[in-house]
Amino acid sequence: MNGQTQRFTSRLRALIRKEFHQIRRDKRLAVSLTIPPTLQILLFGFALDATVSNLRLGVIDWSHTPESRELISSFTESKSFRPGGTYTSVTDLENAINRGKLDAGLVVPYEFGRDLRRGHPVDVQVLLNAVNANTATIAQGYAGALIQAYNQELAREGIHPLVRMVGGTPPTRRGIVTTVTAFLYNPGLVNAWFIVTGTFGVLLILNSSLVASTAMIKERERGTVEQLLMTPANTTEIVIAKIIPLFLLLMVVVFLAIGVMRVFFSVPVRGNMLLVILGAALCVLSGIGIGTFLATFTKSAQQAQLSAFFINPPLATLSGSMTPVEAMPSWLQPITWLNPIRHFGIITRAVMMKGSGIDALWWNFLALIGFTLLLLSLSVWRFRKQLG
Amino acid sequence: MRRILSQARKELTQLMRDRLALALALVLPLILLFLLSTAIALTVHNLPLVIQDLDDSAASRRLADAFRASISFYVVSWPTDQSPEKALTNNTARGVLIIPRNFGRDLNRGANTQVQLLVDATDSNTARIVQGYATEITGGFNQDSGSMAGSGMVTAQMRLWFNPGRDSIKFASPGIFVMGISMFPALLAALAMAKEGEQKTILQVYVSSISAHEFLLGKILAFMVIAGCEWLLGMFALLTVFGQHIAGDPTPLIVGSVLYFFCVSSFGVMVGARIPNQAAAIQAVALGGFLLVFLLSGLIFPIENIPPGLRWVSNIVWGRYYIEVVRDALLQGGGWPAVWFSVLMIAVLGGVFYTLAWLGARRMQVSA
Repeated sequence: MNGQTQRFTSRLRALIRKEFHQIRRDKRLAVSLTIPPTLQILLFGFALDATVSNLRLGVIDWSHTPESRELISSFTESKSFRPGGTYTSVTDLENAINRGKLDAGLVVPYEFGRDLRRGHPVDVQVLLNAVNANTATIAQGYAGALIQAYNQELAREGIHPLVRMVGGTPPTRRGIVTTVTAFLYNPGLVNAWFIVTGTFGVLLILNSSLVASTAMIKERERGTVEQLLMTPANTTEIVIAKIIPLFLLLMVVVFLAIGVMRVFFSVPVRGNMLLVILGAALCVLSGIGIGTFLATFTKSAQQAQLSAFFINPPLATLSGSMTPVEAMPSWLQPITWLNPIRHFGIITRAVMMKGSGIDALWWNFLALIGFTLLLLSLSVWRFRKQLG
Repeated sequence: MRRILSQARKELTQLMRDRLALALALVLPLILLFLLSTAIALTVHNLPLVIQDLDDSAASRRLADAFRASISFYVVSWPTDQSPEKALTNNTARGVLIIPRNFGRDLNRGANTQVQLLVDATDSNTARIVQGYATEITGGFNQDSGSMAGSGMVTAQMRLWFNPGRDSIKFASPGIFVMGISMFPALLAALAMAKEGEQKTILQVYVSSISAHEFLLGKILAFMVIAGCEWLLGMFALLTVFGQHIAGDPTPLIVGSVLYFFCVSSFGVMVGARIPNQAAAIQAVALGGFLLVFLLSGLIFPIENIPPGLRWVSNIVWGRYYIEVVRDALLQGGGWPAVWFSVLMIAVLGGVFYTLAWLGARRMQVSA
């Protein structure tokens, strides 16, 4: 028994050494494992920004009163809107929005100032170009908040003359509720933190599945599998020996990505980084599992890569890593729990930004371990069956 | 011309033999179109919210009900003795609304009160949306309780134009369609060309009587056919399932599309000629076709938000111009005056890729 395990480990060691030699000779692999992931993280972090600001606002002011000018300037002075010109007719404003020259329009009616002074409620119209649904939703929130602030200002000013006129009797008026929003974990609302932490998982799965499927299929394409089978090593050993060097190599990518996140985007680390690394290791292993599994189904490198294209985009988009899961249709949302990237994304964000511990994330870890074991054993089983 | 056609036929025959690759190349863009245009959206609904009501008065319950009734939030229960922030750290909720003690009493006295909203801002875009929703709901609450009466108040009537349901599929699906066409013909072309270099069959081409231009054009023509098939399938889906329709003059779309097929196929052949290694060529196409087109073309995230240092790159991203052509043909209908420049740019970029491919093919002979 003892001799057997000894033979097993020595054979395994020899095979692993062979894989390492092969990897070392393949300069391109090293390049393709370092440069694309770094570029991906940098590009995604810098370029994917959904922030809505500086919307071009066209204004029609039919009131021409201090009140209307104050409302308009409260819009244009905010960071959310910038003046896009004044218009005299609704058709002109409509045309400008149609042609994409304006993102929003504000129409102040003729009776605005008069009615306000008399204490009557007044309507203003806010027109938003909703072709981009996200921009419209956020712009709507901005406009609502600006008008609420304007109303509060009015209420504060308006109460004094009222008190003075009536002469001491307090006005029968209920108080106003305001929401004070505290943005936790990311008070500066840096969008890159969200994107970068999400991209991390995507690129781990993407790169490990690509690298693994190429490595597995290379041996078969060149016909050297038979040579391997003629050695005393059995198929499980061959697969394990292939996986271990790849795993170690991909862990380098993990540290590289963490470095880029810290240096270029200064993503905070508020929790225990070991949890992220553990999650990343599981993610890499399941990526290798996906790649190996794909490789067993395909005949050529070309086919394997194409099938990776088939698997990867859905994995990446249905992970909540770049767009929130809550924005997906409700029938699609439960499916995202079957995605290792979803769990890893939750782990990365929770640990790095919120400082959560294992007590909050044990479920995600359990799921990741489950996926890893399932994918790896499935791929080993398929690989053995194919060789046998 | 005859040689170009026979080269194209040889290429297509080779591709036909690889049934899986062919099926994936034709079906995959469709699947992507369906999947991504439903899944890529930023407008969130139905977010989990914890309400901590420390007042427990009629007024506070009314405010809580206003939140409960909105479609933007659903209220999850949370024990009052636990710290509300914990609901955020373990991902039970996206926000916590804290109604302070004496909320109802202050309101009845006519004093202004504040409620606190803690928002999980790990996703800054969602955080902004949560804030907007909450402001609107409290605004509505104020209006209902008549607290603004007497001082006069302004209400905004919001009109959402072009897309009142804020449906992101209409906006996203043409973009995804373009992404599919940018990626797969280029990928197949790069693979075919890299294989030629990897297996040294390029030498056979050199000893034959075919010229470099005929060889390249034949290859490009074959992948333009593939792109055309993808285009037809995708366009059919857009017009039927996604409810798009062609607005205005279709000629810019047709001319632009054919030029774009040439552009992406040339890009693929160029990559394959420059990088005679299938795996590396795939990564290069993935980087160019997928990442650049996905990121820098204004597909989901607006181009204006890209930092200026990177924004110039989007001027040479071919997909960006084609997205403009397709969006114009499907949504706005501006015709030639609106998109002539984009069509021109597609042609120019296609020419550049072709020239680079030609130069690369000449080098392949030396290295082979």
